[in-house]
Amino acid sequence: MARMKFLCDADRCIECNACVTACKNEHEVPWGINRRRVVTLNDGKPGERSVSMACMHCTDAPCASVCPVNCFYTTADAVVLHSKDLCIGCGYCFYACPFGAPQYPRVGNFGSRGKMDKCTYCAGGPEPDLSTIEYEKYGSNRLAEGKLPLCAEMCSTKALLAGDGEMIAQIYKERVIKRGYGSGAWGWKTAYRETVAI
Amino acid sequence: MRRGRTLIRTFVAAAMLAGVAGAGAGPALAQTAPPTTAPTTAPNPTAESVNEDLLFKQAPTIGGRISIPDQKAANLIQPQGREWRGFHETWMPWIGAAAILGMVVLLALFYFTRGRIRLEHSEESGRKILRFNGFERFTHWMTATCFIILALSGLNYIFGKRLLMPVIGPDAFATLSQWAKYAHVYLAWPFMLGIIFMFVVWLKDNIPNRIDVAWIKAGGGIIGDKHPHAERFNAGQKVVFWMVAGFGAAMSVTGLVMLFPFAATDINGMQVMQGIHSLIGVAFIAAILAHIYIGSLGMEGAYDAMGSGKVDLAWARVHHDLWVEKEQARTASGPQLRAHQAPAE
Amino acid sequence: MKAFAVAVICAVAIGIAASYVLSTSQRYAWQAFSTSSARVSHPGTNLVGPRWTGDVKGPHDEVAGETTAPKRS
Repeated sequence: MARMKFLCDADRCIECNACVTACKNEHEVPWGINRRRVVTLNDGKPGERSVSMACMHCTDAPCASVCPVNCFYTTADAVVLHSKDLCIGCGYCFYACPFGAPQYPRVGNFGSRGKMDKCTYCAGGPEPDLSTIEYEKYGSNRLAEGKLPLCAEMCSTKALLAGDGEMIAQIYKERVIKRGYGSGAWGWKTAYRETVAI
Repeated sequence: MRRGRTLIRTFVAAAMLAGVAGAGAGPALAQTAPPTTAPTTAPNPTAESVNEDLLFKQAPTIGGRISIPDQKAANLIQPQGREWRGFHETWMPWIGAAAILGMVVLLALFYFTRGRIRLEHSEESGRKILRFNGFERFTHWMTATCFIILALSGLNYIFGKRLLMPVIGPDAFATLSQWAKYAHVYLAWPFMLGIIFMFVVWLKDNIPNRIDVAWIKAGGGIIGDKHPHAERFNAGQKVVFWMVAGFGAAMSVTGLVMLFPFAATDINGMQVMQGIHSLIGVAFIAAILAHIYIGSLGMEGAYDAMGSGKVDLAWARVHHDLWVEKEQARTASGPQLRAHQAPAE
Repeated sequence: MKAFAVAVICAVAIGIAASYVLSTSQRYAWQAFSTSSARVSHPGTNLVGPRWTGDVKGPHDEVAGETTAPKRS
């Protein structure tokens, strides 16, 4: 099976936020919940770069490790998913996540912030694939339809790559070699304990 | 910057090599030159670009600007979560188990070697003296019941998935944990109130003094049969008082910081707060186990102080002689010596 | 025993009171992170379905019955 990853080529990302919009629309994500976001570093300065970030579906995911009810599971594609039936909304995943991926329907008082929501890599949840109940809880399941996450597919500059880790790393490597520069695979060291060697 | 300069140097070197090759071996070889031979006059687009390694050298987290109204989302990478996870998942279960099981073993050893501290009968046996009035017992039990629920629901965060979940299954465990979480969050409030009440009510009797030094030197009467002098609270009880006040305050502060996320600190601050909360929590539980032991099983006659509020005068004379003298002097007629006096509630 | 019973009842009462007080200070993410120009209606009509929050009844549920879950291809 493939080992699914995200890779954002910051030298191509133009902060158009199409990935964010695509994600929101595809999964009917509520307002205020950001499964994916675009962060601009050094904004306005010559070295400005934008990075589109969501759950990176880490290797040996910290969220899954700290969850007190073990509601996380990793699919055969190495996508980190969780069960909203088991989630108690304690917020431990939110402490552990290096990417700020876990989102909660309510803010303030931590005790009742509701069930956690995060990027599913367009792979739904533990419910039967493509069922209504799965859609209501986790959004659409594009992986079950043979499609890749919509954010990456929509990306106008193809800065955001999604797919098998080795393949997207290869694409990125070729790009870097061709154009002669690249600011690296953002977050890969933290998420996968490896980076794209060029 | 350094990276950019290296790149430029590489380009220059490559261009020179290509030039030499072209002059020597003809066009065939020149065509196989790598496509990296970009014109050196072109600006290097990455010369000033931000770089993950460099940013991590400047600050422990990487953040930028974000266009959504949630400014917390501007944090791009905060790898400290992995350290917190390492602490919480590899250290905390062992620390917690060592603290609590260690205390249970210690208490068991004490029980089987020293045994129960028996009530020493005297001519005053059978007569009662009011030790804790109704409000004192109320505030003690409110704090105590909340503490037990908080302790169990707190331990559930660490040990639940390891011990309970395999037994009762994930669905039942998730439901239980959900309710445990609500109990933890909401019963924290009467607990904090109880801590404040107890602190105010018992502070005046818990100021350390010379009698406590003598009490500690005599080993508190736990080892041996001699009973050192003690006022209303002996040095051991004073330690429990200050432990509860200190730990209670620390648990309250760290708990409140976590209860209102981002009100006081950022995510890294909350990770630290969670670590402190759990470490003090298990120490608190271990200490309270000892307190429960000595107040019930460990010492005959001690439970009455919090149970009915009235203790046997013989017991009080042995364990809190100075307090009994003071009480009897205060009410010379000795109304508290009557056997069936209703506690003031 | 009476003090104990009163203590337990009081603890539960304060706990329940705390839950009510705390819930008033709590807002939905769609309220907290929307700007004045954003007209977010009931998040059951234009956002994800009623089961999303899972555990607590919110303004979602008033409109939940009317909306049908989006059907996926």
